[in-house]
Amino acid sequence: MRQRDCLSPEEHRELEALDRALAGEPVDDDLRELQRLVLDVRADAPRMSPGFAARLEYQAAEGFPASQERRSPARRRRRWVLVPAAGVLAAALAALVVVLGSGGSGDVGSGGAGQAPDGPVAASGDSATRESTAERPAAPSAGAPPLEDQARVDRALVPLGVPNPGGTISPSTSPRRVQRTVSLALSVPGDELQSTADDVVGTVDRFGGIVASSSIGADDASGASASFDLRIPTERLDGALAALSKLGHVAERRQDLVDITGSFDSVSDRLSDARAERKGLQRALGRATSKAQVDSLKARLRSATSRVSRLKGDLGSLRRRADLATVSLAIRGDADEADGGGSGGSWSPGDAAGDALRLLEVFAGVALIALAVLAPLALLGALVALGLRATRRRRRESALDPA
Amino acid sequence: MSGVLTIDEPLNTSTESFDALYRDSARDLYAYVRTLLGDDASAEDVTALAFERAYRRRESFDERRGSSRGWLFAIARNAALDELRRRNRTAPLVGELPDELAPAPEEEADVALRRSTVRAALAALGARDRELIALKFHGGLTNVELAAVLGCSETNAGTRVHRAVTKLRKACHAPA
Repeated sequence: MRQRDCLSPEEHRELEALDRALAGEPVDDDLRELQRLVLDVRADAPRMSPGFAARLEYQAAEGFPASQERRSPARRRRRWVLVPAAGVLAAALAALVVVLGSGGSGDVGSGGAGQAPDGPVAASGDSATRESTAERPAAPSAGAPPLEDQARVDRALVPLGVPNPGGTISPSTSPRRVQRTVSLALSVPGDELQSTADDVVGTVDRFGGIVASSSIGADDASGASASFDLRIPTERLDGALAALSKLGHVAERRQDLVDITGSFDSVSDRLSDARAERKGLQRALGRATSKAQVDSLKARLRSATSRVSRLKGDLGSLRRRADLATVSLAIRGDADEADGGGSGGSWSPGDAAGDALRLLEVFAGVALIALAVLAPLALLGALVALGLRATRRRRRESALDPA
Repeated sequence: MSGVLTIDEPLNTSTESFDALYRDSARDLYAYVRTLLGDDASAEDVTALAFERAYRRRESFDERRGSSRGWLFAIARNAALDELRRRNRTAPLVGELPDELAPAPEEEADVALRRSTVRAALAALGARDRELIALKFHGGLTNVELAAVLGCSETNAGTRVHRAVTKLRKACHAPA
């Protein structure tokens, strides 16, 4: 039960008288009995034996050598037991922090975004397969297609101009016709934009391509930009893309493939039919005997010739789509890189200050994380220490309780 | 008892100041420990042990947390209580009264009787009250120092001392 701590004025007076009596000072007459009590108790105070007094004096002169206290092995063992226990506790807490910290992010292991500029290109039937450097799965195991789908993809990877051995996608034995469209975005220092544009033209020429259109100019506050609409021979596209990618930092690369084999064969067949019809009409015209027959056959022959011409145009267009890949190239001149922030510029004091700031930010982040881990540990340790201290004190105090 | 020692110089900067503490406190400390433990041998061991510990830890003494005398008595108290726990018993106050404490033949009869009464009354107190009397009367600690030794507030220390003294006074006036 908790006892009251406040003292009455009379009790206060008695305590003060007690302190005065202990100090050898006079007290009020009505408290003389308290003074006698003090004198009697102190007169009865135990005194050291002369032998112990001499021994203690000797020890004092020697600087109290450590000969009295011998910590028991059991106590030492108990203290050492706390070390692994504390380690386990710390590890458990750290694991908890890690688990809680990673629990909220569900995108761990969802595939990397590594760049593979010259990776395989897939096309499936008449459908287009889009490949982007930012969207490509990192490994086959992550979202890999089923076996039959994989086989279809493999078949689609047959080089252009080579008959498809599977033959299931297109019943025709004619070579595959694939239209390739590439979108490429480069980032270069702002002051190198013009020279990079010149290099683009040179590269396109080198690979036998053409620049369908181009534009260069100031874009916005972030810097100037240039855009090119290119046509590159399909069989030399990979090499051209590799060369173009070296002109700057590849910010984005995207490829679209459309299998136009079906359309090509269809137009080709219709052209053959139109030609055969025209040939037949020409033969029939040669055998015509009446004027009416001749007029009728000539009219049909004109129509057939017109159809042949139109189909030849369509076929040529399809062939060009298959033979020439479309490359949309965008180049952004980065003003920051022009100031020397890029890999090509010189390293200025401003850059050093920026790097130092970033370094400090990293250190601050690391320190914050460390604090987030250590602060709860320290708090826990302090609580444990306080608890142990209170327990030890209670145990000691229990020695004063009646047995 | 030689009164409350005031040591201006921190213990960790001067061996002389610890020596002064030793000289001023040794007898009082022994009296307190002897009263608590009840036998000479244990009291001597614990007293020596307390000084040894205090000397070893003198650099950790922080005068902002209390006086050096209170700090020394706290160390002695811990050692004494550990000894009591080891023996697993509470010691009687005057289990074996030294001969030198017995009233001298030439003392007046009433003084001898009074001291005998006080001795018996002290022995009749509980261990906690007896310890408080010993700390206050033998150790000469102020209430602030008592609070530091007992781990309580100054007010609580005063209340406990007053209660123990009241019990002692009542026991002295109780019919034999």
